[in-house]
Amino acid sequence: MNLPKTASVVIVGGGISGCAIAWNLAHRGVKDIVLVEKDTLSNGSTGRCGAGIRMQWGAEMNCHLAQYSVRFFENANETLEYERDIEFKQNGYLIVAANVREAAQFKKNVELQNRLGISSVYLSPQEAHKIVPIIDTSQFVAATFCPEDGHLNPFHTTEAFAQSAERLGVKIFKHTEVTGIDVSLGRIRAVETSRGRISTNTVVVAAGGWSKEIGAMAGVNIPIYVQRHQILVTEPMEPVFGPMVMGFDFNIYIQQVPHGSILMGRSDDTEPRDFRISSGWRFVEEMTKTCSRLLPALSQVNIIRQWSGHYCMTGDAQPIYGPVPEVEGMYLACGFSGHGFMLAPATGQLITDMILGEPLTIDVSNLDVGRFKRGELVFESSVV
Amino acid sequence: MLTTTGVADNNLIQRCLPSPSRRALRPYPVIECFQKIPCNPCSTSCPFHAILPMDSIHDIPVLDFEKCTGCGACARVCPGLAIFIIDESRGDGTGSVTLPYEFCSLPQKGEIVSTMNRAGYVVGEGTVIRVSAGKTSGTPLVTLSVPIEQVHDVRFFCSKKDTDQLVSKDGAEINTDKFINSEGVDDEAMICRCEGITRREICELIAEGYTTVDEIKRISRAGMGPCQARTCGPLIADEIARMTGQPRDSILPSMHRPPVIAQPISFFTGGDEK
Repeated sequence: MNLPKTASVVIVGGGISGCAIAWNLAHRGVKDIVLVEKDTLSNGSTGRCGAGIRMQWGAEMNCHLAQYSVRFFENANETLEYERDIEFKQNGYLIVAANVREAAQFKKNVELQNRLGISSVYLSPQEAHKIVPIIDTSQFVAATFCPEDGHLNPFHTTEAFAQSAERLGVKIFKHTEVTGIDVSLGRIRAVETSRGRISTNTVVVAAGGWSKEIGAMAGVNIPIYVQRHQILVTEPMEPVFGPMVMGFDFNIYIQQVPHGSILMGRSDDTEPRDFRISSGWRFVEEMTKTCSRLLPALSQVNIIRQWSGHYCMTGDAQPIYGPVPEVEGMYLACGFSGHGFMLAPATGQLITDMILGEPLTIDVSNLDVGRFKRGELVFESSVV
Repeated sequence: MLTTTGVADNNLIQRCLPSPSRRALRPYPVIECFQKIPCNPCSTSCPFHAILPMDSIHDIPVLDFEKCTGCGACARVCPGLAIFIIDESRGDGTGSVTLPYEFCSLPQKGEIVSTMNRAGYVVGEGTVIRVSAGKTSGTPLVTLSVPIEQVHDVRFFCSKKDTDQLVSKDGAEINTDKFINSEGVDDEAMICRCEGITRREICELIAEGYTTVDEIKRISRAGMGPCQARTCGPLIADEIARMTGQPRDSILPSMHRPPVIAQPISFFTGGDEK
């Protein structure tokens, strides 16, 4: 397949966001879409993430975005006509409060979530124990649970979007690196790639951690930085617990995937803020310590791999959605700060709304790139 | 066929045998090792250097029957219990089969036992003529005297009193044709043993356009299991090179990550969990 000379939209990045945007645009009638990816699909943050999705957020907008995405994923195999399986398992998220301060915040969160139609509940440690029988109830003071939260296979979910987009006419070019963006008189003119030039009026930057570099090619400073995050995985075993178990102050998310392996991850603010994706020793020490504390029964389970990927962080750990004021035709979908995978269906829908000039399905106008200059950061308490 | 039933058929066995003249001369080993797995103890075990050195730990052993004396050192070290010493040179209408035996208790010399084929069916009787337990290490070897026409069938035995519980049946020939592709490579061969992914499944993905080891891993899970692609990684790269025509050296492996060997969570916490 030759690289087209022109395109109506060029999407930069073959992760979940880029593929979801490509599918949405094509699904809503846009022709001549090209997606370029410098490596292979889901090779960046998408393929390295924990791939959980939850509706238990502390800010109303995030609840709406997550609700939209959960509803989409529930029917995604059919909607996207995917011949394999995105493996969406809704076994819930059990979020544990390490102290009374967290518990008080959780209570408020549940009230908000319930008001928005999210079926979360506030639980005592004993009630939480009925949901996850291997959890040590002496380690936490309260918990919240939403049975509709869940987990997907990130590779298959990305493939499902990409394959459906291709059937709708989107041209996807793997191993094709963007080398420049041609801007003149404040407008996008073309995208230069390692395989040639594509003239276009519209570019969507969905390049995860590399979005800053792409922005710079158009002379745009996107206020994001990358940070390494690590995960480890155990050998597969019989089902032990269903939900994702998560704690913010505990600094853990841990989940047994349908295949039987147990995945766990944490954050560490001392992790390097560059493109390194090496593996570190301290992560394993800290991770296993937290795991043994909360789920001591897992102490004899074998770890078979640890890996790492990037969070693409913003100043308020919220995504950047929308057009760039100084360059007409440039749209950003980046800075997801660890939540890009779960928000992808909403991302695709909203970026398409913006490009087509239609009313926003969910009001995310406060997530524009200008908010950092204006000092209007968006607050969200529930992040790992 | 081997990969669906676990039973090697006559075609495969014939490939393991030396020339008729060598067979008549002295005992020889039959190395029933058909799949590329990371295993090499046999290649360093032979005191006569009859098993050729391996370039890769995945290589299938190659035997120089002229150097081989039939001593059985290799049969003792094979972790897969896949090496048998056959003697067709006795000249009295009987042959012997020496097989590795890892059960308790060992049979007695002179005992009459029921002999079994590779599928586990009883095929006749044999006499235990030698039991060699190995002084320090290695698997005990038991030598059975059997009718000479059965030396390529008999691969195990059980005591006569257990025979009644077993179904006696002729080992039917299994048609292998449909499992062998035009290049003589087994399509149903297990490439990723941890996740149970066959060569056919890998090749179908390559044909769909997944032409890197990483992409195949993500779609199929091949390489995500406890061995972390140590076996399947190079085999998948072989298939990509073969099907796409790219040089084998240009096919990148998937990234290797810690731990080198699986370790329990408690290993990292060191018992200090506070």
